[in-house]
Amino acid sequence: MSDRGEVVEEGATGRRGFLAVLGGLTVAWLAAVAWPVFRYLSPRPPPDPFGGEGKALVKGVAPGDVARPGQGSNGSYGGRGLVVFRGPDGQLRAFDSKCTHAGCNVQFQGDRIYCNCHGGTYDLEGRNIAGPPPRPLTPLRVTAEGDSLFVSPMSS
Amino acid sequence: MSSDLSPIPPEADRRLPPPDTRAGRATRWLLARYPVWPIVEHLAEKRVPRHRHSVWYAMGGIVLFFFTVQVITGILLMVYYDPGQPWQSVQRIVMEVPYGALIRSIHHWAANLMILAIFLHLFSTFFLKAYRPPREMTWVTGLMLAGLSMAFGFSGYLLPWDDLSFFATRVGISEIEKAPLIGGLLADLIRGGPDVTVATINRFFPLHVVVLPLVVLGLITLHLTFVQIQGVSEPDSFRAMPPEKRKYHKFFGEFLVAEVPVWLALGVLLVALAALAPRALDPEANPAASAPEGIKPEWYFLSQYQALKLFPGSLELLGQALLALVPLAMVLVPFWDRSIPADARGRLATRMGIAGLAGLVAMTLWGFLS
Repeated sequence: MSDRGEVVEEGATGRRGFLAVLGGLTVAWLAAVAWPVFRYLSPRPPPDPFGGEGKALVKGVAPGDVARPGQGSNGSYGGRGLVVFRGPDGQLRAFDSKCTHAGCNVQFQGDRIYCNCHGGTYDLEGRNIAGPPPRPLTPLRVTAEGDSLFVSPMSS
Repeated sequence: MSSDLSPIPPEADRRLPPPDTRAGRATRWLLARYPVWPIVEHLAEKRVPRHRHSVWYAMGGIVLFFFTVQVITGILLMVYYDPGQPWQSVQRIVMEVPYGALIRSIHHWAANLMILAIFLHLFSTFFLKAYRPPREMTWVTGLMLAGLSMAFGFSGYLLPWDDLSFFATRVGISEIEKAPLIGGLLADLIRGGPDVTVATINRFFPLHVVVLPLVVLGLITLHLTFVQIQGVSEPDSFRAMPPEKRKYHKFFGEFLVAEVPVWLALGVLLVALAALAPRALDPEANPAASAPEGIKPEWYFLSQYQALKLFPGSLELLGQALLALVPLAMVLVPFWDRSIPADARGRLATRMGIAGLAGLVAMTLWGFLS
């Protein structure tokens, strides 16, 4: 250690080592912060729109609004939008109104279901027949009980 | 090809990474466009004196660390806080959101430790006499930042809308209300009516998350720019040493690197405090209920609270006036005690500072115990 140059070099190595340890600690510290922040910001899964009963009350549309063939309206269930109508065949149908293209709410137009945002068109079975939508609309089972309409998932 | 690019100064060329490396090319590319070499050089040469009081130079950086924690945790809390449902939304943060209780408690603890660090920064600056010319405005902006930090504490305290925050805010604003002439008007403006209600939250929330942060960020920038321009102050004992005996740390590279592990440790301390002593959420504020037993202001308002108790009844106005003299005297100190090295005024200022600190500690302890 009597050689001056040697001492200086050793000091430089020690400093580099210190900086490496400090850098590693800082990165570890930041990673330990990042995980709780990610978990904190992660949204809760949305509640099941059909609740515990397996069906949801339709708001904004009453059975009387869709009594005759060709009548239809937009409403909501469990915080989501839906379109409900009585087709020319007299059958009551309902679909989740969120267009499968970009998420606008579609509209019942007598002989078709149409999206005003980008011209997506569905037939009365909810099948995408023209325009940009990549998939059919999500169908809902709709029932009238007294003065109210209810929807439930198609699969149940 | 003519160009408006600035030539690289030769002294910069010598100190930058070699031009055939990526870092060398990038720094030269930037310097040709933004010719800030004199600023870079000034900062690179910035140094911190080494002496037995050097540890106090770290205090400002510690305050800044806590402030950064407050900005980050504050933004996170705002994601779920709802001023329309203040207590319910804080309860949701504490009970339902993952790590919500931890983040809220860290915000609480960092606020308290930031105020503590500000006190340490302020008193060390005072006793090392760093406020003397040419640093008067650094001192004054620092005092403003200390006052605004207390306003941060006061406005944030109300936001959870629990029992404690409701009564603390009511009492605090009633002190403003007692001020002569404009007290009533001022109190109504702050409260948004004759009493503390949800309307007060709708005022305190934008104050706490928009107005104060903007003003404080501006003042911090000014305060730090002043320090960068002038460098840190050297105490009289250091100046009295022969030049060859004065030792310095480089600010960037040595001093700052040494402060990083302190920050990391303080981060760990915050998590430990938040986990071991989490901030409770009391029952929702009920303006009709009696105030909770043993209710007292936060520790950094305790000395004023205790001092005002010494002036009962009609004397209270006198007590307020005397208390108002303290910040006024602090602002005026650098314009009165100017001599380097310290003269008789300087020694008197130090003695008054010791008396002030002793009074602050005694009043705070008395407030705790009474």
